[in-house]
Amino acid sequence: MRINGKDFASALLLLALAGLGLWLNTDHTLGSARRMGPGYMPMLTFGLEFLLGLAVLGISLFSGPDPLERWTKIDFVGLFLGVAVGLVAYPVLVSVAPALGNNWYALGIAMMIGFGVMAISPGWRKMALILAGMTVFGVLLDRGGLFLAIAAMVVIAALADPEHRPLGVLGSVVFLIVVCWWVFIYELDIRVNIWPTF
Amino acid sequence: MELLFENLAHGFGVALSLNNLLFALLGAFIGTAIGVLPGIGPVATISLLLPITFGQPATTAIIMLAGIYYGAQYGGSTTAILLNLPGEVSAVVTTLEGYKMARNGRAGAALAIAALGSFFAGSVATILVAASGPLLTDIALSFGPADYFSLMLLGLVISAVLAQGSVVKSVGMVVLGVALGLVGTDVQTGQQRFTFGIPELSDGLNFAAIAMGVFGIGEIILNLERPEVRSVLSAKVGSLFLTKEEWKRAIPSVLRGTLLGSALGILPGGGASLASFGSYMMERKMSKGGKDFGTGAIEGVAGPEAANNAAAQTSFIPLLTLGIPSNAVMALMVGALIIQGIQPGPRMVESQPDLFWGLICSMWIGNVMLLVINLPMIGMWVKLLQVPYKYMYPAILTFCAIGVYSINNNVFDVYQTVFFAVLGYAFAKLKMEPAPLLVGFVLGPMMEEHLRRAMLLSRGDPMVFVERPISAVLLVIAALALGLMLLPGLRKRKEEAMAG
Repeated sequence: MRINGKDFASALLLLALAGLGLWLNTDHTLGSARRMGPGYMPMLTFGLEFLLGLAVLGISLFSGPDPLERWTKIDFVGLFLGVAVGLVAYPVLVSVAPALGNNWYALGIAMMIGFGVMAISPGWRKMALILAGMTVFGVLLDRGGLFLAIAAMVVIAALADPEHRPLGVLGSVVFLIVVCWWVFIYELDIRVNIWPTF
Repeated sequence: MELLFENLAHGFGVALSLNNLLFALLGAFIGTAIGVLPGIGPVATISLLLPITFGQPATTAIIMLAGIYYGAQYGGSTTAILLNLPGEVSAVVTTLEGYKMARNGRAGAALAIAALGSFFAGSVATILVAASGPLLTDIALSFGPADYFSLMLLGLVISAVLAQGSVVKSVGMVVLGVALGLVGTDVQTGQQRFTFGIPELSDGLNFAAIAMGVFGIGEIILNLERPEVRSVLSAKVGSLFLTKEEWKRAIPSVLRGTLLGSALGILPGGGASLASFGSYMMERKMSKGGKDFGTGAIEGVAGPEAANNAAAQTSFIPLLTLGIPSNAVMALMVGALIIQGIQPGPRMVESQPDLFWGLICSMWIGNVMLLVINLPMIGMWVKLLQVPYKYMYPAILTFCAIGVYSINNNVFDVYQTVFFAVLGYAFAKLKMEPAPLLVGFVLGPMMEEHLRRAMLLSRGDPMVFVERPISAVLLVIAALALGLMLLPGLRKRKEEAMAG
């Protein structure tokens, strides 16, 4: 038996998604083959997905060895903590300040916190910083305006590459603000605030 | 024949309008740039620029997006030859002989034959698209719902079979794509499916968010984790003119490459990279210079370069005539058309003559432009490579973020993109090929429609799929394709071809 770690994890992912889909699909009426209800196609799709997941699981036992990249202890902790903190933060934020329910603020802030925690572990740092940058863009865009949102996103994303120097980041920010203003505001005229409106 | 010329004349009229000409040039230009730059491919770029095209008429939008795709095939060869650095997957094989030629001091000749071969192949493929379009459309109009369902199933199967890596996993990715396509309002009953009560999801998952997340942002993270390869231009470009001997060796290869590429492009699941690998294998076996392969044989540049460009263009045939995307880029085109309010399908040739003929003619014009953009301006493109990745990725990220927001003016789409970036990163780590997922996502909702209609017509009898001759043939082909890939010998051959 040469277990293929990548295939094994893929199989678990497929099975989990298929299981979730089949479970959610219990809400939908199936109908008959002749008159299909809303649940008929999902049943076929997720059912097939489940079978494929089982097939990949079976294959993974013999197609290796192709192990997953090694995770350090701190990577495990970082992932677990990040997801947990994010999941807790969302309902807490909504109940503490109901106004955050608008415009997906609570979701954005919860994701920001979660990625922030994940960025502590070196294995996840690059991914977490890039995605935190993009999330911050979403959180800031409406109230902070386009320019501030771009600046914050670029600065946070720049942390993901240790080669970046402050001056280079500043140059990127200015350049991107000018280009985005020209393309999206001047040429395409998208409806968005460009300056902060706190 | 006369009608064809009339139609082409109409097409040139559309394609030569100032606005369309400008966007074709812009597309070809951007395409060349991303072809030259490693780390960003046509799928990410097209999804990135999708929102920018919304303000334009559909024809103009598609002309530009198409320009990016075939422009990338041209640009990819430049860095492959000069720096041994494939800008695109389809240019991987060009590095094998092209870089050797550059080392032998024949970089100019390699670049020239790559560009001229591509131009020739592109022109032939354009005529092929023009001629076969109306023909295939006539056939497609006789398709019933069952036939359509089987055709789409075949498209999905082949896109999975031809993807890199394990076939079973790729089929899993296709099905996952179909599953993602289920999210949203059920067309027939109006019931919300898998929306978790989120109003933004009632129109389904955002197509651009999936494409940008998986192919754009996910790719950035992976690139940052890889150490950057810096390469310096050592070889001189030299004379762009080919010797008589080189012409004699290259011309047959270009012809063979054009033929093979055109054929492979039409196949659902086919496309530029498959064509260039296929042509390389063929040239090694068939051409007179085959024994010189590995030392800088011009056949190994001429054939694959012609093939990938021909395939890039003929892969529009199934899209324009049947409404079936044959690869991830074509899936993006379907998305662009649907957002523009055009349902891709066999009626498009009749109902959107401007789009169909205009696009075909602009492809040819685009090829002329690319010749001009590429050959005399090679020095500029090589300079572009000196922009370090650390300045490129914040720009890509910014364009993704604003672009995806501007589709619906809703930040939820930005968070959706983040979600799919995580998923895309996971897929890459687990060696799950994401391209079939995108094809499945686009075809899924259409398949459900046709399945429902077919079963309603047959009163719930699934035998309809094998009783109708067209459908039966398509299903047999799909089964054969899957069956063949499960044979170990063939699977190994495919892996060899994919690895170059």
